[in-house]
Amino acid sequence: MSKCDKQIQQICDYVDGELDGALCAELEAHLKECRNCRLMVDSLKQTVVLCREGKPEPLPKELEAKLSDALRRRWEKKFGGKKT
Amino acid sequence: MIERKLIQLAQGGDFNAFNTLIAGHKDKVYRLALKLTGNREDAEDIVQETFLKAIDNIDKFRMESSFGTWLYTIALNNVRAHAGKGKRMPLKPIEEYLPSGHSSDVDELFEWGDPHQVFENKQLQEIIEKALADMPIKYSTPFVLRYMEEMSVNEVAEMLKLSLPATKSRILRARLALREKLEDVFRERVHE
Ligand SMILES: [Zn+2]
Repeated sequence: MSKCDKQIQQICDYVDGELDGALCAELEAHLKECRNCRLMVDSLKQTVVLCREGKPEPLPKELEAKLSDALRRRWEKKFGGKKT
Repeated sequence: MIERKLIQLAQGGDFNAFNTLIAGHKDKVYRLALKLTGNREDAEDIVQETFLKAIDNIDKFRMESSFGTWLYTIALNNVRAHAGKGKRMPLKPIEEYLPSGHSSDVDELFEWGDPHQVFENKQLQEIIEKALADMPIKYSTPFVLRYMEEMSVNEVAEMLKLSLPATKSRILRARLALREKLEDVFRERVHE
């Protein structure tokens, strides 16, 4: 089995839709014949999809309050008695 | 522009203006720190340090970048400082992620199918979280910025002060490493 060194570099651009026309056609021809590279394309795509599925966690409420205090203190130290 | 005005006010000592400026960024900085450290305590420290540093340096902000980019840069410096403490697995060179590579005993890639059929969403997110947190941040950072914060490769390169090829190569290595980690877990589960 041959290693697909050259392809692997292109596959990432390919899955992001950033591979130029001629190279893209060349890679697609290779994909028809090479199962590993096909699986690589599929799983690399899925990797990013899975990463994007996570629900963003908001800043915990307790931290929000702690942070406000710390920022106010630092602000007063820096700007002294200036009114806010 | 409103942001500009708020920055000028903040630089003059207006705390309310500063709070308005950072309001939309707190969750974002926390999310970024959490992804890169995989650890709530560290992420909380990083958030606090980032905004304190923003106060310390607010007069040095020159409007050359957006305020958000500036905050992210401070946050990433703090992530770097925190990540220095932990041990992370180095990543292999790109060629070694290929099947039948010299150091690989796997000849065939595994057919993933739909991982959601085998794992719950929560499990999948935990696997990803851990894999990212185990990776050196020089790889996970550009990957997260590119695919989870939806920045362009150019923007990532600029923020990290890297060349375009270096940025692309790090993103690719992170992506390959993450892919391999997921594949190992999926393969194991199916063979159980
Ligand atoms: Zn191939």
